[in-house]
Amino acid sequence: MRRSDLGEFEEVVLLTVAALSPGAYSVAIAEELEQETGRPVSTGAVHAALQRLEQKGYLRSEMGEATAERGGRRKRFFTVTALGGRVLNEVHDVRTRLWDRIVPTIRLEWR
Amino acid sequence: MIRLPSRKFKTAAADGRQSALFLEGQFAPTAAHSLIHSFTLSLFHSLLMTPPRLADRLLTWFCAPHLREDVLGDLHERFALRAAREGVGRARRQYWRDVLAYVRPEFIRRPEKPHIDDYPVPNQVLMFRNHVKIALRSLKRHKVYTSLNVAGLAFGLTCFLLIGLYLFDELTFDQQHSRQARIYRAIQHKKTPADEVTVAASSYNISEQAPRQISEVENTARLVRLGRANITNPANKHAFQETVTLGNKGLLAVFDFETLDGNGKAALDEPNSVVMTEEFAQRLFQTSDVVGKTVFLDFIPDKALKITAVLKNHPRNSSFDFTYVLSEETLKGLPRFEQQTADWLSQSYQTFFLLKEQADPVATANKINTLLNANAKPEAGTSVSYALQPLADMHLHSQHITDGARNGNVQSMATGTLLYLRIFAIVALFVLLIACINYMNLATARAANRAKEIGVRKASGAFRSHLIGQFLTESLVVTVIAFVLAVLVVNLLLPAFNEFTNKALSLGLRTDYRIWLLAVTALVLTSLLSGSYPALLLSRFSPLLLLKSVRFSNRRDLSLRKSLVVFQFAISVVMMVATIVLYRQVRYANNKDLGFNKELLLVVDINSGKVRNGAATIQAEFSKLPAVKQVSVTSRVPGEWKNIPLVKIKQDGSTQEPKTAYILGVDEAFNKTFAVQLLKGRTFAGLSDSSSVILNETAAKALNINEPSDQLIDIPAMAFGGSFMPVYETNQSFKARVIGIVKDFHFQSIREKIAPMVLAYQRNPVTNIDYFTSRIDGHDIPATLAAMNHIMTGIDPDHLLEYHFLDDQLALFYQEDQRRETMLIWVSLATIFIACLGLFGLATYAAEQRIKEIGVRKVLGASTFSLTALLSGDFLKLVLIANAIAFPVAWWATNKWLEEFAYHIEVEWWMFLVSGIAAIFIALLTVSYQAIKAATVNPVKSLKSE
Repeated sequence: MRRSDLGEFEEVVLLTVAALSPGAYSVAIAEELEQETGRPVSTGAVHAALQRLEQKGYLRSEMGEATAERGGRRKRFFTVTALGGRVLNEVHDVRTRLWDRIVPTIRLEWR
Repeated sequence: MIRLPSRKFKTAAADGRQSALFLEGQFAPTAAHSLIHSFTLSLFHSLLMTPPRLADRLLTWFCAPHLREDVLGDLHERFALRAAREGVGRARRQYWRDVLAYVRPEFIRRPEKPHIDDYPVPNQVLMFRNHVKIALRSLKRHKVYTSLNVAGLAFGLTCFLLIGLYLFDELTFDQQHSRQARIYRAIQHKKTPADEVTVAASSYNISEQAPRQISEVENTARLVRLGRANITNPANKHAFQETVTLGNKGLLAVFDFETLDGNGKAALDEPNSVVMTEEFAQRLFQTSDVVGKTVFLDFIPDKALKITAVLKNHPRNSSFDFTYVLSEETLKGLPRFEQQTADWLSQSYQTFFLLKEQADPVATANKINTLLNANAKPEAGTSVSYALQPLADMHLHSQHITDGARNGNVQSMATGTLLYLRIFAIVALFVLLIACINYMNLATARAANRAKEIGVRKASGAFRSHLIGQFLTESLVVTVIAFVLAVLVVNLLLPAFNEFTNKALSLGLRTDYRIWLLAVTALVLTSLLSGSYPALLLSRFSPLLLLKSVRFSNRRDLSLRKSLVVFQFAISVVMMVATIVLYRQVRYANNKDLGFNKELLLVVDINSGKVRNGAATIQAEFSKLPAVKQVSVTSRVPGEWKNIPLVKIKQDGSTQEPKTAYILGVDEAFNKTFAVQLLKGRTFAGLSDSSSVILNETAAKALNINEPSDQLIDIPAMAFGGSFMPVYETNQSFKARVIGIVKDFHFQSIREKIAPMVLAYQRNPVTNIDYFTSRIDGHDIPATLAAMNHIMTGIDPDHLLEYHFLDDQLALFYQEDQRRETMLIWVSLATIFIACLGLFGLATYAAEQRIKEIGVRKVLGASTFSLTALLSGDFLKLVLIANAIAFPVAWWATNKWLEEFAYHIEVEWWMFLVSGIAAIFIALLTVSYQAIKAATVNPVKSLKSE
């Protein structure tokens, strides 16, 4: 279990990459997160998280086409690796199990 | 607008400019708008529609270069999005915040290694490593070329290193003394009406008085080699016949002979002191711990001589070769010594002056001449003057200087020949240069093979400097391999080379650093020289030309290479002719009828007074030995290795100028023992003939004597290597009757014309007997020698047997020629080898160039043989031209050399023929490999590709 080395923000970014795949790159991720959370997210933070995730082997990147908006610079597209997928699943499983245990209690209180 | 990802455009400033241009392009009005309008718009855009330029600049400053593309791209894209969504102003403010969010270590930290995506800026070491790798690969792939190149260069370097070692040794002669720059040798120039002599000697008084009376002279070293004497160790009666050298106290003060034991500076101050070398101490005492021990010399038997110091053995590059030195003080007071030292004009001592700092040698020499003229008055017509020779010049610049200051029995000091050194140096450089040129040849010949490689490299961005670097690295790798090989070969060859040159050279870790410096310089220069041409040539072509496989041929190049091959072969042919001529001449010299029979003549030296006095008894005993056929007693022998004395002769009463002749003291048995033919008259009959002489034909002719009829001849003067002096002190001449004439015989090297020779009876006023010569049969020579030794020790128990075989001694005359012959053989082999390498390169090149032509010819039906003949024919022409150049040169050179010999062979036509045919044969052998290979290639292969 390497659960401990996945930070909260990293986890969200990793999830976003999975969600946006195959068109996941830093700007798209930042915009997506801003929309979802309603808070400003800087590309710097996203970029740093992506870098770390790539170093850990959860992400893989490749250069894409150059686009005009970027001043002729290329995008770096990210995809989740098999390891990254497994980690996401584990995280998801842990959360689900925990949710499964607390759901009845909540219902009980409501009643 | 598409931007190529090129690192050239990735600089910070360029990035801003690019994006500005881009925006301009997007929104800029078309050409219909006015210029002013477009200007304001673009200004507006560049100020407001773009991200803040300062922020970009800040970012490019702190952000790691390999991340810039990602980061800037993200920021700009987001800026564009925000500008569209929320307006430019907010976007710009947001931009600043975003930029500042990048201020974190992971964006600032520069990568340790160049990132794979970052265009690597190759550093020198990396490039070099890559070049070496590529070089090794390409060398490994073309094994034949590699071995040819390595062999050629290794060969050149071996020659260069061997000769370099030799030259270094010769040029550093006598430089081991700390004050060598201030040491000068006195050279006396004496001119008499009859002759002129330049002798490396001075009189005792000059050497003694100069430091006292001339302020520039600080000290004097003086030595004289007195001749050979028995030196005895009284403890075990060990005795050795060694040259005794007499030295003054200055000898050890002026020179720095390394001392092993004892006081090396003051060891010759006292009378009865002896200084010896370690090697001699070992021989005499079996130990070098001999300081304080006593030795005896046979000519001063009453004096016990104390050993005061032991010197280290002389280095091989020292002109001094004495084994022991007797202090001059020992002989002071002896009447003979006083008499010898009185004359200011004599040439008795080898003298070295130590001059003061900054003293001018010419001015000093003038002062010495003034000193001489103040004290001595030479005879009318005779003049004597001194010059000073620097110590460093002694070894190589003494060809015309006689080594005086020695007894006639002592060999003169060995000197080197500057001419040979020059020739050696030229040969060394030449061989190395040719090896380099051959490398160039092979490399350029292979250019076609490598054109594609070079083209691809250029197309993918290699600069010319990279290619030059690559080819130079390749030649460096080849040269380094060749160098290592050469050092190994040199070490293998050195024992034989040392024996040949009589030196103790070595090339190892302990060798003088200057030699290694020279070697490494040679290595670097060789690799630069051999790599430069291909590097510059091959990197010059445009990549398009190279990839289109256009065959580039350079006419001028080819003719240069051809003339080089002609040159090499011409030299080889000259060498071959010279080798043949030299070989024939040496054989001729050794087999020539010398006028006497030199086979099985055993010469035994007379080394003591007792033996000389008992000569008659010994001669009688010798002749009783079963192996001995005849015995003769003489003063010198034909083929003499020491000086043969000269005399002046003329017919009695004649007024003509006296002739110069050699003189030999012989006995009754001379003619029979040596098998010298008597033409007229009779031989000596005994003591009654003590004032009779026999002449050789040449002498008889010079004196106009046809029949020996007891005519009287005058012998007024004699000379033992130096100048003439009267035979009798009373100035009378020795008058002798001519009783016979013998056929001319060669008593000297056949370089010399047979000179007039006077055979006097063994008891005569000029010569002393010095040898027993026995004609023996060849059985059991050791037993004969043992018997002779027994007879001689019966007369003198201390006598040491010293013997020579006359034919061996005669062969020594031609030893130098034999040595030259060996050298010539090696040099001619070397030049042939190198010429073949050059030819091979050229043949490869030609075959490569004409591969299409050969293919077409084959298709049209040419046979392998005719094609081989076609390809070889071109080279045959070159070798024939080389022969045409070589023959006259060889003819001239060999004739010039043969003129040195008074008696020599003739240069004959077959010698040229043999050499020429050999050269052609070797050349064809070299070329045919490539020719046959080219001729047997399947034409489909050579024609299908274009």
